[in-house]
Amino acid sequence: MLVSTKTSSRSSSSGENLLTALCQWLIPWSPFEKVVAEFGRIALEFLRRGSSPKIYEAAARKLCVPVDMVQHGVEGLMFLMTESSKHMISEVDFLDSVLDLGFGDELHQILVQLYLQHKRPIRSILSQVPSTLPAYQNLEWRLDVQLASRSIRQQVIPTLTMRLLLTRGCDGGSSRVLQTDPSTLLHLISTLEVALAAMKTSHSRRILRNIK
Amino acid sequence: MELSESVQIGLRSFADPSCLDHTVFPALVDASFRSLLSAHGDPGVLDQPELQHIDRVLLKQSHAAAATFILEATKHNADRSTISSCLEELNFSAERIEIFYNTYQTHKKELARLLASIGKRAPHVNDVSWRLQYHIKNGQVDKVNEPSYLISLNTENEGSSEDVNFTCTMEQLQDLVGKLKDAAKSVEKASQM
Repeated sequence: MLVSTKTSSRSSSSGENLLTALCQWLIPWSPFEKVVAEFGRIALEFLRRGSSPKIYEAAARKLCVPVDMVQHGVEGLMFLMTESSKHMISEVDFLDSVLDLGFGDELHQILVQLYLQHKRPIRSILSQVPSTLPAYQNLEWRLDVQLASRSIRQQVIPTLTMRLLLTRGCDGGSSRVLQTDPSTLLHLISTLEVALAAMKTSHSRRILRNIK
Repeated sequence: MELSESVQIGLRSFADPSCLDHTVFPALVDASFRSLLSAHGDPGVLDQPELQHIDRVLLKQSHAAAATFILEATKHNADRSTISSCLEELNFSAERIEIFYNTYQTHKKELARLLASIGKRAPHVNDVSWRLQYHIKNGQVDKVNEPSYLISLNTENEGSSEDVNFTCTMEQLQDLVGKLKDAAKSVEKASQM
């Protein structure tokens, strides 16, 4: 089993349990490819938004099976999809992995299609998981000139007010309101231009080219 | 400039040579400006040797009145004639007005800057630091292989500093710099009007 051999020992033991559950769950349903495809869709939805016990219950009622069985099956599918996407295994390797599960050919093909269709979105979801830092989304700005205040009249203080929009993982974004003065603004621009130029140096380009 | 009764009384004794003689006057003018400019109001500002022999109540009244007058003058950006006529009315001699005005001129800019900084505002960005890194893999995803920037904006708000940290790709950093440049252009245009 290619997928489980590549994972760390801790996750592979739980992963194997999940895959066993997946087998137990899929075998009785294997003639119903549509059901499998539908559950694949649910598995992906859960990866994106988190699982929902209500959906497990509804599905279990429809299929007249225990809730546990549905839950294990979907979790097994989720594990199969995330591990395969994580290592970005090829179509052939994926098929090799699922062949071991002993489903029918048609079901194997459905799983391969499911993997090929969804590996990019899954990787993009996974790539958001580890970043503890928020990511840049947008910057809105406004130029203000302070003319007077309670403590002093007749001022001319140019101020750049900015709203920095950031995203953090899958859960929405946040924004920060900041301000700066014109000379600091020029300093910020020149510093960040140096940062951009660093990407184009031969040093950076060599690293980017060689680590693939 | 409107001055309250107690400020006027304080300034009249400030002007009176029988209360504060010619050696004490410049020392107290200087102390009044310094007390406004020093951080958190230096409590020892009236402890100078020149001011030791003056009655403490009279000294404090004069100091409080002078400080109020200085703040009002700075607040309204008072010119020489306004200050002169105001002080003349309170019996200041021409010589004392001259001493006061010269000291006012010396510190006016700094005082105005201090007064302008009072009030609520958004955190002020003072500097930015950056780091370029090549993201290879992590616990969730293999073969990421994407360069990314870590940006840290150093901000200051009411004396305390804080860093606003975020990550961005090269394209996002280009977008950010582009927007900052637009803003800088607007500042330049506005300053030419």
